[in-house]
Amino acid sequence: MTEGRRVWAGLQLLDRQLIAHEERLAGCIDDLELIASDDGDQLHVTAILSGPGALAYRLGRRRFGRWLRRVHACASPTGDRDSTRIPFNVVTDIGSDVKLGLDAEETGSASAERWTRDHVISHIPGSGHAPE
Amino acid sequence: MKKMLQITLGILTAIGGFVDIGDLVANAAVGARFRLGLAWVVLVGVVGIIVYAEMAGRVAAISGRPVFSLVRERLGPGFGLANLVASLFINFLTLSAEIAGVAIALAMVASVHYILLVPFTAVLIWIVVWRLPFERMEQVFGLGGLALLAFMFALVQFGPDWGNVIHQATHPSIAKEENIFTYAYFGIALFGAAMTPYEVFFFSSGAVEERWTRKDLALNRANVYVGFPLGGALSLSIMAIASLVLAPMHIGVDTLPQVALPVAVVSGKIALACAILGIFAATFGAALETGLSAGYCLGQYFGWQWGKYVRPREAARFHVVVIVMVLLGVLVIMTGVDPVKVTEYSIVLSAAALPLTYFPILVVSNDPDYMGDKTNGPVLNFIATLYLGLIVIIALATIPLMIITKAGA
Repeated sequence: MTEGRRVWAGLQLLDRQLIAHEERLAGCIDDLELIASDDGDQLHVTAILSGPGALAYRLGRRRFGRWLRRVHACASPTGDRDSTRIPFNVVTDIGSDVKLGLDAEETGSASAERWTRDHVISHIPGSGHAPE
Repeated sequence: MKKMLQITLGILTAIGGFVDIGDLVANAAVGARFRLGLAWVVLVGVVGIIVYAEMAGRVAAISGRPVFSLVRERLGPGFGLANLVASLFINFLTLSAEIAGVAIALAMVASVHYILLVPFTAVLIWIVVWRLPFERMEQVFGLGGLALLAFMFALVQFGPDWGNVIHQATHPSIAKEENIFTYAYFGIALFGAAMTPYEVFFFSSGAVEERWTRKDLALNRANVYVGFPLGGALSLSIMAIASLVLAPMHIGVDTLPQVALPVAVVSGKIALACAILGIFAATFGAALETGLSAGYCLGQYFGWQWGKYVRPREAARFHVVVIVMVLLGVLVIMTGVDPVKVTEYSIVLSAAALPLTYFPILVVSNDPDYMGDKTNGPVLNFIATLYLGLIVIIALATIPLMIITKAGA
């Protein structure tokens, strides 16, 4: 847990690779959720936004971003939790990538990956073959 | 021998970059048209790619970040996306042409029209991507590409007046029937071929696939210092032998089989067989390099799991991207377009996209946050900055020159 560390969010967090359990690549930091402190002169990062819609929203395609996010939420099997929002307290390390104490399956990037795997790749012989 | 096998990543990257279908033809065509008047450009390109590939490999070894991650992290998502679209398009054009190149190399042996071999070729490429482990892949196609040494052999056997060859190469002049614009256009094509962005995408992602760490920095340098000069030397020998054999007979080069012609004339059947094997391995290697690079770029931009180091079902989107690219490439080639024209355009277009790839590499390799104590030294930064300036000038000049010369016609 990195408690109260000062980082240059624009340079050291935004657009960095997220790494989940077992060194799995789990999307990028597409956007950040910031909350102003009580006295109003400091900003605290409270969550990482990553996955469908977050990037489009940041790039200024706000309607498209919101739509993507809604579609994704409807299609998500968990339904109850918005997987594109990752609370910042699951971050375990910030370096040239950002490590999460999560399974890759729990991140926003996982649903499209899961769909492709289940509907396309796993039908091709040898898809589970270890690469040595 | 084990040490030798560890530098196959650099060899495959360089062969795929310097002597793929477009370059094979471009080198021979330039040799036949300008003799050795543009040989110096290859040397300038070799130094440039050495400088930037070393940095990209070092960043990958120390921080584990491949080039397209750096592109997004340092250019931001907007410019990163622009680079992504451009790089995917260039990769796609090149991949299409390479698929044709492999088919043409096979057709030189099989005596059927190459179009008929295109679907077979595509399946072969996909099987290698799907099943062959990364290191095995680079060994097979990197070492296979060394059969192109037949061109160097033919050059030595031809026994030119070396003093004259060196004089020609060091005193470039433009022949009467050419002008400064066509000279510059082909110069850019050669420079663009030497520094095509997919080389650094592939090389740095390969370093991650092979799990390079801080301990592998010497290996990185060995790969770069052996691979790229070798690629450059092969490219120069193709140019030289074409200038010696084809130019005096006023034979121009615009198809792949013509590239191998001087070898057959000078050194006979066995050398020709080697040259064809080399062309097969080099175009196949370039197809793998560009096909995988498409998956690497997209995967790294969006942060997906990518790579051949995990099972295909664990990098599902990555493998779908490669499959779709190969299929689309087959469709393009089956329309019967001239694959050589396709790569020539893609090389020149890639020259226009170079700065967006090389700038982030230079920035990150100077960032202690990523690199610790392994940041660039002042001499390296000086050279790299000079090259960045050169790349920017070339990027700006490319499109106008393409229009003025009607693509070198």
